Amino acid sequence: MLNRRTDLALDRDSLGRFLPWLIAFMVYLAVLALAGALMLRATAERWDKGIGATLTIQIAPTDNPARDAGNVEAVLGVLRTMPEIVRARAVDEAQLMALLEPWLGPAGAGDLPVPRLIDVELKQGAPLDAASLKARLSAIVPGVGVDDHRVWLERLVRLIRTAEMLAVTVLVLIALATIGTVVFTTRTGLAIHHEAIEVLHLIGAQDSYVARQFATRALTLGLRGGLFGLALALPTLAGIGYVVRRLESGMLPELALSPAHWAVLVGLPLVVAAIAMLTARFTVLRTLARML
Amino acid sequence: MIIDTVDHVVRFESVGLRYGLGPEVLQDVAFTLREGSFHFLVGESGAGKSSLLKLMYLALKPSRGLISLFGRDIATTPRPALPALRRQIGVVFQEFRLLNHLSSFDNVALPLRVAGVKESEIHKHVVELLTWVGLKDHIKARPPTLSGGQQQRIAIARAVIARPRLLLADEPTGNVDDRLALRLMHLFEELNKLGTTIVIATHNQGLVQRLKHPCLRLDSGHLHVDEPAAAPRRAAGRDGASSSSFEGWGSRSAF
Repeated sequence: MLNRRTDLALDRDSLGRFLPWLIAFMVYLAVLALAGALMLRATAERWDKGIGATLTIQIAPTDNPARDAGNVEAVLGVLRTMPEIVRARAVDEAQLMALLEPWLGPAGAGDLPVPRLIDVELKQGAPLDAASLKARLSAIVPGVGVDDHRVWLERLVRLIRTAEMLAVTVLVLIALATIGTVVFTTRTGLAIHHEAIEVLHLIGAQDSYVARQFATRALTLGLRGGLFGLALALPTLAGIGYVVRRLESGMLPELALSPAHWAVLVGLPLVVAAIAMLTARFTVLRTLARML
Repeated sequence: MIIDTVDHVVRFESVGLRYGLGPEVLQDVAFTLREGSFHFLVGESGAGKSSLLKLMYLALKPSRGLISLFGRDIATTPRPALPALRRQIGVVFQEFRLLNHLSSFDNVALPLRVAGVKESEIHKHVVELLTWVGLKDHIKARPPTLSGGQQQRIAIARAVIARPRLLLADEPTGNVDDRLALRLMHLFEELNKLGTTIVIATHNQGLVQRLKHPCLRLDSGHLHVDEPAAAPRRAAGRDGASSSSFEGWGSRSAF
């Protein structure tokens, strides 16, 4: 396949300077889009699994702390009888204060009436909805609120999935643009070398003999451009990673690429070069098929 | 590759050719070339000689009629089988059609490379043939640096290197002096003696009369076959340069 000898002066037309640059840009964009897609997917999966099945129950405070404690116990008592619930645990006061401290400051927290919270972990896929749970608990303790994490988590995951889809769409568009570029350059090459190709054809060259020469060149140029694009993209990714780590706060999920992801990114130029090679081959074969 | 063992190499029946919607440039052309025959193709310029040759070397499809090469009907031969037929046809194009970016050696080697012959084999035969056509010193030269006559000899070498079963030449002696023209003709006759069927389109009446081969004469699209008055003069007593270095060729059965 990689026979370097060629009967066509393919390396002497200007397309050889044009194609690697285009491929380099394509690979650059593709690496960034793919890295984004991979990170978003990993994040979405982590969230989907991790805190997917939890909800929080709030019990409105009364004037009487003893009554508050009684309410918590009553609610816990009901929750423990429910088969959908794996675990229900009251958040103790110290923990609650710690959660509120960033918002209210150390001084303010003690004086305010603070609702009591119960962490509830549901069985995976439990058909328990927040509204019916709330209705059931309100019958026992008035002023109970049920905060279903699944609702906003689902929205967040959906958002991430949408972003991921967008990245995949960008990848597909880049692949199509690469194919289009290679088709165009190959057609131009066929026109430039029409005379020589016709001679080869007339002395009995199989179509694949001519196609191989174009395909080999597309592969070479694709690899050259692809590796250059990758060489540009990796520092960019490292730079983005550095900036994100410096921003690191509880708000941003950890965006990290696993070794497998890096392998996929590094393999991308090979994929693009292979696309270029196959595209060139099919373009030449299709064009030659029109000759007798 | 299926080659029928028929004795005709080329057979045309009621062949017509038109370009696009234009008038027919060839009309009701019918002839048969037997294996090992030698014909000149003559006719006024514009009479359709090149078109007829193009039909024979499979660059064009006829608008109508039947063309059979080596016993195969071209119209029903699947496209992937055509390269194998083309490899049995050597063509000397009127405008040579050498690849200008390749050396003389690589130009002549092309038909062997296309056919997948080993490089070591290729080297031996190409050098031998280039030596014979007097271009040994120009093996590495590219066609644009060579004279018209030298280019023509490269074109001829390329056409004959693979020992074709059918050799078609369009004005192969147009750019060389009479002495060289005759020598090239002897090369064709030599090939002919080894069994190659030959058709040479030419304007050179001197050659036609001297070599006394039958003529395919085109006259405004119609073909007539003229047998020469005397029996074909078998190439005997030619100028000495040709035969000696040419002997190795006959044993070349590998292709």
